[in-house]
Amino acid sequence: MKNKMRVLWLSAIACNGNTHSFLNYPFLEQFLDDFEFIYHPVIDSHYTLEDIVSKEIPCDILLIEGAISKEFQRADVSVVDIIEKYSKIVQKIVTVGTCATFGGIFRESGYSETSGLHFDQDKPSERFHDLLDKTISVSGCPVHPEVLVNTLYAIKKSAALKLDNFLRPKEFYAYTIHNGCTRNEYFEYKVDNHQFGELEGCMFYDHGCQAPFTHGSCNKILWNEVNSKTRAGLSCMGCTEPTFPKQNLFSTKKNMAIPENLPVGVGKRVYLTLAGISKAFKIDRLEKKLFDD
Amino acid sequence: MIKLIEKIEGEAKLNFNFKDAKIDFVDIEFMSTRNIENILKGKSAFDALVINPRVCGICGHAHLIATVQALENCYDNLELSNKAKIIRELTLNFELIQNHFKWYYLTMLPLFGQKQQVLKATYPSQLMGKAIALFGGQYPHTSYAIVGGVVCEITEMDIIKLQHYIAQTIKFVEDNLVKIDSENFLTCKDADTLLDYEGDLPDILRQIKKEKLLKYGKSYDRFISFGENSYFKKGKSLQTKVSHNISIEHVKESEIPSSFAKNVSFKDKYYEVGPLARAMVNKTPLIADAHKKYGDSIFSRILARVCEISQLLEHSKKLIKDLDLSEPSYIEPSLDISQLSASGYSAVEAARGTLIHKVEIEDGMIKNYEIITPTQWNLSGGTKDKQGVSQKAMIGLSDIKTAELVFKSFDVCSVCTTH
Repeated sequence: MKNKMRVLWLSAIACNGNTHSFLNYPFLEQFLDDFEFIYHPVIDSHYTLEDIVSKEIPCDILLIEGAISKEFQRADVSVVDIIEKYSKIVQKIVTVGTCATFGGIFRESGYSETSGLHFDQDKPSERFHDLLDKTISVSGCPVHPEVLVNTLYAIKKSAALKLDNFLRPKEFYAYTIHNGCTRNEYFEYKVDNHQFGELEGCMFYDHGCQAPFTHGSCNKILWNEVNSKTRAGLSCMGCTEPTFPKQNLFSTKKNMAIPENLPVGVGKRVYLTLAGISKAFKIDRLEKKLFDD
Repeated sequence: MIKLIEKIEGEAKLNFNFKDAKIDFVDIEFMSTRNIENILKGKSAFDALVINPRVCGICGHAHLIATVQALENCYDNLELSNKAKIIRELTLNFELIQNHFKWYYLTMLPLFGQKQQVLKATYPSQLMGKAIALFGGQYPHTSYAIVGGVVCEITEMDIIKLQHYIAQTIKFVEDNLVKIDSENFLTCKDADTLLDYEGDLPDILRQIKKEKLLKYGKSYDRFISFGENSYFKKGKSLQTKVSHNISIEHVKESEIPSSFAKNVSFKDKYYEVGPLARAMVNKTPLIADAHKKYGDSIFSRILARVCEISQLLEHSKKLIKDLDLSEPSYIEPSLDISQLSASGYSAVEAARGTLIHKVEIEDGMIKNYEIITPTQWNLSGGTKDKQGVSQKAMIGLSDIKTAELVFKSFDVCSVCTTH
């Protein structure tokens, strides 16, 4: 029999969104041929959750979904204890999704000291400090299935992955969500009259789109292989970042009519100057409907 | 005897009490909660459109639609295009279908001694995910339905793609689930004739008959469904007596000391929700026939859920024909949400049954939010004198394995329940 990599999928304080996002991976047959879940929230496994928490089942990779608190239990055992036990025997730990990485939405669920494995939002947390070298984060709410699966394959191949400050593979998180958005031209030329329900326009100016300062590959590796939120006309909610969820997600926070958050690495003064110049283009094609009569 | 029931989008603890070798009472316990309702308090009302899909990874889209409808209910005279209504109904249909496939191939088959069929679950679910993503940008966890409509504009090319996803899913059903023409399956009025067909569904139905499980899983024979749209009707069914005059005012949530899940009742009685309830209220001939012959048993429950896949696929095809692409996708509300102080509610049919959201807004901020999930209806843990729907369905069974089958025939969603 083929030597499969053994994976434990552990859910902490979660909605199972990453579990179901993973099930959208198009080549699952191949994946299940190369990896074996010793436990997964919906896929059948040789072991039960009770086996997982009461014994020490051999395992190569620990996947954690959901925010982590000592108080939160699975099968009557604290998730922190389960993580501590398996983190000792696995080669790698992957925090799957934004809750497991930064705390995310369920950081606010009322359990004591709830956070991601190594980060409480953007603050490093000391709790699992000794596991830093073992961990890779794939943030997102949910994570894109290809980002997760291909990270697991990289582990399997022992490929050297370059990670960013939040332990995220640069291969996926060096990009911004803005890269590849079909609405880019409206951003570049500062055409700022977006209305919801239209093919045209950019949601950055008024409708809270965080794509220019959010890291991820949503517009490079499309969702469900067909689309992305910003392409569809929905603002990027910044779900891969430690700050997710911010407040007032559908409107752009501005100071003196200038968006408070600018594209990564762009200074306010330069932005203002260039935005003014860009506006002078007044490109007729972008001022009217895309499919003009 | 306590058994941890796993892989129901989380777990639940069932404490079985036996008397004379038969199950006498089952205590159901959910061990955690995520306090979503508290997380929402004090946030800007529209943020609920982003947070609430995260109630659940498998039926989060129903939570989005329930949220947007509850918020819209806070407005007077809000305008919504027919196009936006149809698009929302389509994406919700696709999510229901996706759920049913996963439940059948991942949860049900192993309970009948078969190997779990992961790829048969994921192939059609992925097609339905693509169909949602076409409008919403991604699945799971889009927030594309906003107050006033939907964020997307769609084109003829999108419709063509969508029709392909639907056609391919119907083909999957015809090649695997029930190997007959979908239209014949949908017009079939005799549940027993299904037993003569080939396919993954008839296989299980035959097994139920062969292993003498036909009587298992019966409960109060009381059904309710509040979510109304162009396909589902609102109403309740007592055995087969249907009335459509029901009001959400009579739905009550109450705490139970032993569990984090709250009880839900209508006029103080427990009702079953879900595909079987919807089919009883809608008087779907095939399901009515199964019910006439086998009552509210696992046979009828399983058949109703799987049958809904084909019904919703066919109905979605019709809905697409009603789409008028020249209508606007979104009509901006005339009142800014920050000027709104009001309360609203919604009821939508999620995969597992009626989902209710209630919201109270003060100057555009959420003052209070309440969510009642389908699993709460079916799994309300009553006392011995007043048992919940699934509790009653397990009484009298002689082994825990069959009880687990009966329990899971309600398609339990632990994460929703522990919102």
